[in-house]
Amino acid sequence: MLSFVGLGLYDERSITVRGRDVLATADQAFAEWYTSRLAGTDVGTLEATHDIEIAVRDRAGVEQHPEPILDAAEDGHTVFLTAGDTMISTTHVDLRLRAHDRHIDTQVVHGTTAQTAASSLTGLQNYRFGKATTLPFEETHGGVPDSVIETIRANRQRGLHTLVYLDIDGENERFMSGDTAAALLASELDDPVGVVVGQAGSDDPTVRADRLSALATESFGPPLHLLVVPGDLHPIEEDSLSALAGLPD
Amino acid sequence: MGRRKKIVEECETLMNTPENIRNIAIAAHVDHGKTTLTDNLLAGAGMISDETAGEQLAMDTEEDEQERGITIDAANVSMTHEYEGTNHLINLIDTPGHVDFGGDVTRAMRAVDGALVVVDAVEGAMPQTETVLRQALREGVKPTLFINKVDRLISELQEGPEEMQERMTAVIRDVNDLIRGMTEEMDDIDDDWTVSVEDGTVGFGSALYKWGVSLPSMQRTGMDFGDIIELERNDKRQELAERTPLSDVVLDMVCEHFPNPVDAQPRRIPRIWRGDADSDLAEGMRLVDEDGEVVFMVTDISMDPHAGEIATGRVFSGTLEKGQELYVSGTVGKNRLQSVGIFMGGEREEVEQVPAGNVAAVTGLQDAIAGSTVSSVEMTPFESIEHISEPVITKSVEAKNMDDLPKLIETLQQVAKEDPTIDIEINEDTGEHLISGQGELHLEVVTQRIERNQGIPVTTGEPIVVFREAPQTESREVEGISPNRHNRFYISVTPLDDDIVEAIKQGKASMDMPELERREALQEAGLDKDTSQNVEHIHGTNIIIDDTKGIQHLNETMELVIEGFEEALNDGPLAAEPVQGSLIRLHDARLHEDAIHRGPAQVIPAVREALHNALIDAEIKLLEPIQEVRIDVPNDHMGAASGEIQGRRGRVDDMYQEGDLMVVEGVAPVEEMIGFSSDIRSATEGRASWNTENAGFQVMADNLQPETIKEIRERKGMKTELPESIDYF
Ligand SMILES: Nc1nc2c(ncn2[C@@H]2O[C@H](COP(=O)(O)OP(=O)(O)OP(=O)(O)O)[C@@H](O)[C@H]2O)c(=O)[nH]1
Ligand SMILES: [Mg+2]
Repeated sequence: MLSFVGLGLYDERSITVRGRDVLATADQAFAEWYTSRLAGTDVGTLEATHDIEIAVRDRAGVEQHPEPILDAAEDGHTVFLTAGDTMISTTHVDLRLRAHDRHIDTQVVHGTTAQTAASSLTGLQNYRFGKATTLPFEETHGGVPDSVIETIRANRQRGLHTLVYLDIDGENERFMSGDTAAALLASELDDPVGVVVGQAGSDDPTVRADRLSALATESFGPPLHLLVVPGDLHPIEEDSLSALAGLPD
Repeated sequence: MGRRKKIVEECETLMNTPENIRNIAIAAHVDHGKTTLTDNLLAGAGMISDETAGEQLAMDTEEDEQERGITIDAANVSMTHEYEGTNHLINLIDTPGHVDFGGDVTRAMRAVDGALVVVDAVEGAMPQTETVLRQALREGVKPTLFINKVDRLISELQEGPEEMQERMTAVIRDVNDLIRGMTEEMDDIDDDWTVSVEDGTVGFGSALYKWGVSLPSMQRTGMDFGDIIELERNDKRQELAERTPLSDVVLDMVCEHFPNPVDAQPRRIPRIWRGDADSDLAEGMRLVDEDGEVVFMVTDISMDPHAGEIATGRVFSGTLEKGQELYVSGTVGKNRLQSVGIFMGGEREEVEQVPAGNVAAVTGLQDAIAGSTVSSVEMTPFESIEHISEPVITKSVEAKNMDDLPKLIETLQQVAKEDPTIDIEINEDTGEHLISGQGELHLEVVTQRIERNQGIPVTTGEPIVVFREAPQTESREVEGISPNRHNRFYISVTPLDDDIVEAIKQGKASMDMPELERREALQEAGLDKDTSQNVEHIHGTNIIIDDTKGIQHLNETMELVIEGFEEALNDGPLAAEPVQGSLIRLHDARLHEDAIHRGPAQVIPAVREALHNALIDAEIKLLEPIQEVRIDVPNDHMGAASGEIQGRRGRVDDMYQEGDLMVVEGVAPVEEMIGFSSDIRSATEGRASWNTENAGFQVMADNLQPETIKEIRERKGMKTELPESIDYF
């Protein structure tokens, strides 16, 4: 049995009760820390909280050599953990399909994810989001990829909001910050309004809305951050951004 | 006024009148007498004293050159010469003759407009004679001929006037056959560039004994071959040299028959520069305009113990001045000229400015390498100076003392800057660096200089040859899947036609040129029209074709795709040796929606693996470098000589009589030729003279492939067993 369990947004307590229960019955646990991570905790604390040893696998250990995970799942109940949800921005569906090929039962236990936070903390309506995109570090892609700009433009043309995930370099503990992202996009997009969300899932998340050029000069506290570039604003959405995110008039 | 001061003043005046400048190179087969001739021209022109010239080879200034008795580095000198009442400034480059240093010849040709080709009267035209002629003509440089060592015909071989005449006619005919063959297809050369006694484009004489003649000189002095034989036979060489001095004859020929920069540049610029012909820049170069933008082509980098790094080259337009901030092609930012100078005699002399048409030597261009274009505005660089032969032999070097590690790396980087025919691979982790060069001697000289000149004791490995890998048939379409399985690439590979490979090697088609021009060049070399329109990249001698249509996001992924291809091509699937001559087609691709899921970690391995699989499906094989070998040997040693070729997995192609010697010609793998010198010497009791020349790469025999591949993999610390799919040997 292979259970995919999302750890939620922020710390060891962000997991759902159901997720905790599934983890409690597991024989073995694996985690992947390269696509995202919990900013408010570490693996040691997770292990202590749930009283289970967690083997962290690197990219190659999940994508190219997933055999140990699958072997374990064949023998007993195995849990595969990621921050957020296991199937949303990080699509581990490939691992699930491989398990399926080996006739291993699988289940998914959801976690709260950046997608949820982007709506719920900003007041921007989930129904009005278009395609999401990730902004990679400048040097890995030689600048801002055209597709990122195209995605935001196309969404805006249709009046839709864009959730922009910000790149994470897990190996080197580098996380793109909201101000960096705003600076990168400001010039490419004739400086629209953006919303930065920081520390989503914590007791005291940051939510700030302003022109991208203005956001580029602010700082939003410790990682992780995400950025939303709104499309047309419904009056309620506008009120939310003013009231909850300090959008200037 | 001291002599030096007078020379300086003379040169400074002359360099401002391009009509009176001649930029020339002396080029020849090894040992035919280039340096001896250069020395005597300098002495004859009063630039160095008579005693220094001649036997001591004043221009072979390096210790190792003196020891080995050969020229290693091209040397820049200049002299003044009065011809028909007008004083001339002659900038001359003495080039090395040994094949291993052929890169110096190629580069020198870029700086000059005329090539004085020297041929030893006894040996006649030899393999390197052909090579240097080709190097000159490819650059649009006009040849004349000097037949040297004529004294030996008279004193050693005791030839009479008729035999001598016959011999020289033969040399002239051979040289003209070569020139004709090479200029036939050059439509920018309208004039007949063959040489002849009647035109005065051929001189004869003895560089060693300082006499020379040509038809014009004979008419002037009234001396004929009979007089010369008479004097030479009676040991009256001194008198001969006084009555018909070598330097006058040769320098007159130089002034009369070589074009000045104003005549030469309009013809040469289109040949060596692909920029916009209608631009002001082009106009400035055509007119040798000293007031135009600065355009300076660096053809030589050398280290001076006092001045530091000196960049020598040709000023095609504008005027070089100390303090100028100039662009260096291929680098960002500008370099500031610390000093500018020209050569006077054998020495570099700093001057205020050097105008267009001259050979200049400057300091301060720390980013320049031999081959850089340096200019006051950003511009299309000159055509890269492609040396005909790629490096074929590699040696590892390692510093003996830990303390020398950084200095060795620095020195190796300097070596690479000075000599583009060398490949350097720095390995900071192991400290074992690799130097690849043109031959055993080349590597020996480089490593010896590191030890001697830089004082860095090194250990060197045994020389090993450089291999290549190349597909032999067409592959099927292969799928490459990224580690996250969200990205897929569909590619195939097929061997590229030899003509196209050749065109790429010669720089006729490259990614540096405008797309349209590249497309035409590739079509001319035989690539079909549709394919030529989809060329995405050229790497080494491999072409990557993008046959996909309208795939979303492929544009921004292409750079990574190319990176993957390049990695696969740099380290081929057999033995991680460079892949050559493949035509790679990208047929289709499936990409993840989000950029982060099709980043480098996904795309590069997918493409790399797919290309390796495609190459294996195309039955990729190992290629080894081969050499053409020519041995001149007395009849009774001929068997031993040809045996030396055959015993080295070689093939004898031809054996024929030339004079009283037999000539054996053939080819053999470079690997087997290591140590040839001492073997042929003992096999023929030292009676043979021989020449080798690199002749590209050839597929190794099937029965040797697995073993050799295994050896290379072992040496590189790779796992020795090959992928199972390689089952075709
Ligand atoms: N008899 C005779 N010997 C000559 C003459 N010119 C040169 N030599 C000798 O030929 C040998 C080679 O002369 P170099 O001037 O070094 O020849 P090179 O062409 O510069 O040689 P590389 O630069 O090594 O290719 C020396 O021993 C010279 O003394 C000549 O006119 N007559
Ligand atoms: Mg020489």
